[in-house]
Amino acid sequence: MKKTSIIALAIIAIAIGAIVSMYGDASTYEDFGVANEHPGKEYHVVGTLNRSKAKFYDPKQDANFFSFYMMDEKGNESKVVYHNPEPTDFDRSEKIVIVGSMEGDHFEASKILLKCPSKYTDNQVKA
Amino acid sequence: MSSVTFIGEHLFWGNLGHSAVVVSFIASILACLSYVYAERNPLDKSWAIMAKYAFHLHSLAVLTIIASLFKIIYSHYFEYHYAWQHSSTDLPVHFMISCFWEGQEGSFLLWIFWQMVIGQILVRTAKDWLNPVMAVVMLSQVALTSMLLGVKILSYKLGSSPFELLRNVMANAPIFKLPDYLSKVKDGNGLNPLLQNYWMVIHPPTLFFGFATTVVPFAYAIAALWRRDYSKWLKPALPWALVSAMVLGAGIVMGGFWAYESLSFGGYWAWDPVENASLVPWLILIAGMHVMLIHRATGNSYIVAVVLIITTFLTVLYATFLTRSGILGNSSVHSFTDLGMSGQLLVFLLLFVLLSVFLIVLRWKEMPRSAKDEDIYTREFWMFIGSLVLVISSFQVTLTTSIPVFNKIFSANLAPPADVIAHYNKWQMPMAIIIGVLTAVAQLLKYKKNSKDALKKMGINALISLVLTIALFFAFKLENYFYLGLLFAGVFGIITNGIILVPFLRGKIKLAGASVAHIGFGVLLIGVLVSSANKQVISLNESGQAINPDFNNKENVENIYLERGKPNKMGDYIITYVKDSQNWVNTYYQVNYKKLNAQGEVDYEFNLYPNGQINPKFGLVANPDTKHYWGHDVFTYVSSVPAQKSGAKWINEKFHEVAPGDTIYTNNGYAVLTGINTNTDAENIDEKNFQILLGAELKVYTLDKVYDAMPMYGVQNNAASSYEAMVDEAKLKFRFTGVTNSKKINIISYEKDTSGDFIIMKAIEFPMINFVWAGTIIMIVGFFLSIIKRLQEKGI
Repeated sequence: MKKTSIIALAIIAIAIGAIVSMYGDASTYEDFGVANEHPGKEYHVVGTLNRSKAKFYDPKQDANFFSFYMMDEKGNESKVVYHNPEPTDFDRSEKIVIVGSMEGDHFEASKILLKCPSKYTDNQVKA
Repeated sequence: MSSVTFIGEHLFWGNLGHSAVVVSFIASILACLSYVYAERNPLDKSWAIMAKYAFHLHSLAVLTIIASLFKIIYSHYFEYHYAWQHSSTDLPVHFMISCFWEGQEGSFLLWIFWQMVIGQILVRTAKDWLNPVMAVVMLSQVALTSMLLGVKILSYKLGSSPFELLRNVMANAPIFKLPDYLSKVKDGNGLNPLLQNYWMVIHPPTLFFGFATTVVPFAYAIAALWRRDYSKWLKPALPWALVSAMVLGAGIVMGGFWAYESLSFGGYWAWDPVENASLVPWLILIAGMHVMLIHRATGNSYIVAVVLIITTFLTVLYATFLTRSGILGNSSVHSFTDLGMSGQLLVFLLLFVLLSVFLIVLRWKEMPRSAKDEDIYTREFWMFIGSLVLVISSFQVTLTTSIPVFNKIFSANLAPPADVIAHYNKWQMPMAIIIGVLTAVAQLLKYKKNSKDALKKMGINALISLVLTIALFFAFKLENYFYLGLLFAGVFGIITNGIILVPFLRGKIKLAGASVAHIGFGVLLIGVLVSSANKQVISLNESGQAINPDFNNKENVENIYLERGKPNKMGDYIITYVKDSQNWVNTYYQVNYKKLNAQGEVDYEFNLYPNGQINPKFGLVANPDTKHYWGHDVFTYVSSVPAQKSGAKWINEKFHEVAPGDTIYTNNGYAVLTGINTNTDAENIDEKNFQILLGAELKVYTLDKVYDAMPMYGVQNNAASSYEAMVDEAKLKFRFTGVTNSKKINIISYEKDTSGDFIIMKAIEFPMINFVWAGTIIMIVGFFLSIIKRLQEKGI
């Protein structure tokens, strides 16, 4: 076999490996129901802040504990714990994406992404 | 149309700018077509003349667009949506320049400007390649200027104009019924605070210059296929490829430096889709450049060189599509918002992809190729392998970055990996090792034929490097054995290229650009390895404070709560939030660091001033501050600050009954009663009227300082009175309230309520991060030397 063919085969193998790995490592957008069925498995959950329930953050007690209640897109609610300070602008968020897994009674978020209404497109002139 | 006459608008500049956009678009079409005809009818000189004037007209129009837009931003003409959305009256001039490219339209304009400048250079230097090369460049210019048109054709809006009036963008807002609406629009939305950084003034122009230059090697490659002239284009295209690699590389690292200096994600690289989108073209360009060199030296691998050079430009277009179409959505923090141009962007991308594929397929059989099998004891073989590894590396990055695209195409619901960094590192680390090793191996071998001598040298260098690697492995206290490979790759590359470099140091340095660039890469590898492997979050909570048992703390507890004036121990440091001060819109928080040595004594101290901006639109926007030492950086930013400070209030009142020698404990420190002074000579107190006057001599110890305090107790006309002693810096107050029968005294301690005066911050120590910057600079110097060498070969 020519060296060129060996190299070509090796590249194809690695490329397939990269695709498989991308697919394998990729998380998925799910709701709390799915996250609940697979505790410990990492998911992205999209939802909104449940403003009727109190969020908790007392930096003096623990600067790295923030919890709140979130409704996923199907309307299921779960407590979410985030071991970081409360993100600024949290109250203004209209959509929240949390990354993490279900741990017991709550969702452990390792990342929180906020979608705020105003970030780039605040097309409102205050008269 | 509206019948209202609006007062105070400056419509001239918008009309001028918009007309200039239309002119530049039409002139670029004309220039493009004329260059095509000039190429096809070499005997008819009129097409070339027409092309030249159309291109000059286009250039003039582009400058006019820029001047008009800048005038509008500079003069705060908020009747224009662009000025209103991206600027405000309080911005200093250099940030007005950043406003220019905060929006999509402005950044397209920047790209258009550079591509125009490049065209002007080509017109003067491309000689007999002028017509076909400029035809391709102008085609790209047509596509780019169309993005600024903002013209409705049928029901489709083509492009988005930066000269749109606010009252047209928001036509339904009632305020625009008023003729004097402008007097009510007093200020613009302002520049995103994250972009209010001097790196944001120079990073985008550099990056876009890098993007823009990739069109030149692409245009040469396309021109060569078009003309069926397969060899002569490599020589003029190579210096452009080098310039592109140098500038794009510099632009990417500047972006990393900006992220490190002004973003609070704590690092210079986060595998964010936008970062990846600029990295991929660079990797492919580097690969393509190496294959071009292989072809020049040996005549092999022609097709691969052409495909890679063409792909470089196509990945730039793909990156543009990804970051500007809004498809990234939630997966990136800093992509542009969707301006509804995704269709147009897709057409732009597909146009060039189809053109390229069509030409390559058409000429496939004609392109030069070599039939003989490669010999593995040659430079070209290993250079080729290295290039392939770069291609695979960029393929992997593209794949994961494109997850949102796959979702769209296959309507899947995949999300980026939860631990993105681990996912990329798993792939990119082994590739970096291979590439690092190959920079040494390929440089030691000659093209075509090699004696056993080269192998012997390689063995010796590898041995020296291995010994050094093991020494460094322990010196840097690395633990993961994977890192041993990466460290070896860096060291081997530096040592080998260093040895190759030595004979060139006397006067012939410009011949050694490749060695210099490869040394830079080695240094960069080591810098990236050590700064990320040994990166250490130092703001771990070590205070031992009672932490709510509900909080099952995990390892990611990385933020520390600092009350003003209250020292805290953090790793080897004692840190204190001293005070805050205001400068323009930013609040600077002075944080004092005292480094302790092994004996627990203060070694040295410094202050950092991380700042935060409470922006009405963006919330808290924190900029870090970093103390740079040659061997490490201490990086600090505030992750949260109280919205409003509370006034002085004394809380935690505690009663103590103490005798001399006893200790009073408080949350802010402890105090030892050293004695009771019966001979007080306090000011402001009329001593004569006292029957008794006692002073409690207290030594107050905080974590890093000792203070004296003396609260007093006196009996005056049979009435007792107390005098408080306050230790302001320690936030403590003591009150001497009486004497007991057992010769003890009563003291009440108070702590200042600082609950409203605190910061929550995070601190990270990055060791050897200067290697990252130094490696980049060395690499850029290497590119620069090579460019000079290639230009001299060309005889310019």
